[in-house]
Amino acid sequence: MHKKSLMMTLILMGLCFSAPAWAVDANEVVNRAHEYFRGQASFSVVEMRIHRPDWERGMTLKAYTQGLSDSIFFVIDPPKDEGNGTLKKGDEMWMYNPKVNRVIKVPPSMMSQSWMGSDFSNNDLAKSDAILKHYQHSLEKTEERDGHKVYIIKSMPKEGAPVVWGMQRLEIRDDDVWMSQEFYDEDLELVKALTTQKIKQMGGRLFPAVWRMQKADAKNAYTQVTYQELRFMEDLPDRIFTVSNLRNPRDF
Amino acid sequence: MFFKMAWRNLWRNPRRTTVILIAVVIGLWSLLFLNAFMRGAIEQMVENNISILTGHLKVQKTGYHSDPVIENSITQPDEVKGVLAKVLPKEARYTSRVRLQVVASNARHNAGVTLVGIDPEAEAEMSFIGDAPLQGRYLSADTPHKILAGRALVEKMETQLEYKLVLMGQDTQNEIASRAFRIRGIFDAELESTEKQYVFVLKQAAQDMLRMGPAVSEFSVLLPEGALLPGVAQALKEALPEGYRVYTWRELLPLMDAYLKMFDGFIYLWTVAVFIAMGFGLVNTILMTVYERMHEFGLLKALGMKSGWIIREVLAEAFLILVLGMAAGNGLGVITVEAMSGGLDLSAFAAGAEFAGMSRIIYPRIVLQDMLVANGVVFFLGLGVSLYPALKAARFTPVEAMLQT
Repeated sequence: MHKKSLMMTLILMGLCFSAPAWAVDANEVVNRAHEYFRGQASFSVVEMRIHRPDWERGMTLKAYTQGLSDSIFFVIDPPKDEGNGTLKKGDEMWMYNPKVNRVIKVPPSMMSQSWMGSDFSNNDLAKSDAILKHYQHSLEKTEERDGHKVYIIKSMPKEGAPVVWGMQRLEIRDDDVWMSQEFYDEDLELVKALTTQKIKQMGGRLFPAVWRMQKADAKNAYTQVTYQELRFMEDLPDRIFTVSNLRNPRDF
Repeated sequence: MFFKMAWRNLWRNPRRTTVILIAVVIGLWSLLFLNAFMRGAIEQMVENNISILTGHLKVQKTGYHSDPVIENSITQPDEVKGVLAKVLPKEARYTSRVRLQVVASNARHNAGVTLVGIDPEAEAEMSFIGDAPLQGRYLSADTPHKILAGRALVEKMETQLEYKLVLMGQDTQNEIASRAFRIRGIFDAELESTEKQYVFVLKQAAQDMLRMGPAVSEFSVLLPEGALLPGVAQALKEALPEGYRVYTWRELLPLMDAYLKMFDGFIYLWTVAVFIAMGFGLVNTILMTVYERMHEFGLLKALGMKSGWIIREVLAEAFLILVLGMAAGNGLGVITVEAMSGGLDLSAFAAGAEFAGMSRIIYPRIVLQDMLVANGVVFFLGLGVSLYPALKAARFTPVEAMLQT
C-alpha cells in the first residue's frame, strides 16, 4: 500500500515535471482531472448533507460510475428514502421511486429542478460531462497553494453550446485534483460554486473527499457531499447501468 | 291635434317632464355606451385571439388538437400545402409552424414556454408578431440560432438582448433535445400571458433541434374579408386526405365562441333591466299627469270626446317623451363613443382586464343592430306600458270626474 502510493506520487510528479507551467494545455488539464476524478469505473458510498439555515437533512447514497457519462445512484439511508434511485446515461436520466414502483424518465421540464431537494439540479448530474464537450478552456493563472500548483482555468462555452452558464471557472491542482468549479451567468456574476473542502487518500489516490455546492446568494445553505467509501476499478458490468437494475438493484 | 295637445300638456309641468326625459336619456345612453364598449372589447378579444397564432382556420394531424406532442406532427407538409393552394381563395394567406412545449432556461431561471418555429415572412403577415413592437430585430432566414422572446418572459428570466436562452424539449426520438438561442428581439404583446408563453425561432431551427425533418405541427390560414368560413372549412375537409383535421377559430377558441353568445344574451338582459327601471318611471309620471287632469278628461268626455281619442292623446304624450329622450340619448351615446374612439385605456386595471382576456386599450364600437334593438325595445315597450295610464284616463266618466273636485 505504502509503496503503491509512493509510486503514484512519483508518477504524478513525473507528469508535472513533464508539463512545465508555460506549456500547460488547459484542455488537457481539465480532461485529465475529469478522468482522474471519475476513473474507468468506480463504486462509492457518499453521505449527502443538505444544509439550510433552519434545518439539515442527510442521506447516504451508493453510487456506481462508468466511463465519463454513465452513473447510477441508490439511496441507502434514511430508511424512509431507501431504494430511491437515479440512473444517468449520456444526457438522459431516469428516476425510480419504490413507493410508487415507477421508473420515470426525467422529462425536459424537470431537468432544471433540484435533485432530491439538494443544491444540485438534475441538469448538474445529467450534464456533468458538459464541461468536457461544450467549453473552451484557457489557463487564467497558476497559483501556489500548500506546496501545490493550482491551475485556474477559465472555461467559456463554445458558440451555440446548449449550456446555460456564461462562464465556468475551474481550479485544478497540479496532481489533477479538482479544487473548485464555479458557475457564472452571462453577466459573469457568480451563481453557484462547487468547492473541495477536504482532500484525502481514497481508493488508491488523493481524492476530494468532501465537497460542497453552494449558491452565491445563499450564505447559510449548501449541500455537502462526503465520500465514505471509494473504490476505483477497471470495468463494471453494463447491466448495472440499466433501467431494470434501477428498479431491482442487485449486488454484483 | 293630438300632438299639439300632448306637446302643450307636457310643458305644463316642465320640471316633471324634464326629470322623466333625463331618465330616458340616461337609460338609452347607458345602453348604447355599454353595448359599444362591450362590442369593442369582445371584437378585440376575438381579433387578438385570432392573431395569437390561431388564424381563421387550422389544419392539423388528427389527434394533435387533444394531444399536441411531436408524434402528432404533419410529416408530409407538401401534401397539405398542395391542397391549400388549390382550395383556398386567392387572397387567403397561410403558413406552417412547428409548435412544442419546451423549457427555456438560463443561468438563474427557467420557464415553460411554447416554442414556435416560424417562417418569418409569412408569419409576419398572419399573426401579432408581425405588428408587435419589437426591441431588437425580427428573425430572418440566416438566423438559425436566434430567438424572439416576449418582454414579460425576458423580465422574468432577468435576461436581455443577445443573451442566451437554452431550450430543452423532447425530440422525435424521445430524447431530450437542447439547443442554445440568442435573443434577437423582445416583443410586446397585448396580453402579458402571450409575452410569457411564446418564443419564436426559425422553423428550420426548430426542425433541426427536434430532428423532425420537414415535419410541421400545423398549418394556419387567414381568410380574406368576406370569405365564408364554414364553406371554406368544408371544402378543405373534403379535399384533404385521411388523417387531417380542419378546425375553425370557433372550434379552436370555444371560450371566445361562448363569450360571444353570452354577450349577446347579456345585451338583451341589460336592455330589459334598464327598461324596467325606466318603464316604471315613465308609467308613474304619466299616471300622475293623468290623475292630475282627471277633471279635464271628464270635461272632454262630457264634451263628447271618445275614449279612443283620449287614449291616443295620452299615448302621444308618452310618444313625445320617448322620441325626445331617444333622440337625446342616441346623440349623447354616439358623441361619447366618438369621443372615445381613440380607445379607452385600461392600463391601470391591466391585471384585471387581462384576467378577463381583454386588451389594455378598448375601442368602443357602435353596431347598428345593437342600436336598433336598444331603441326598439325602449320605444315599443315604452308605448306599451303607457297604455295603462292611457286606459285609466279613458275610463274616467264625467260623473266621476266631477266628484273629484
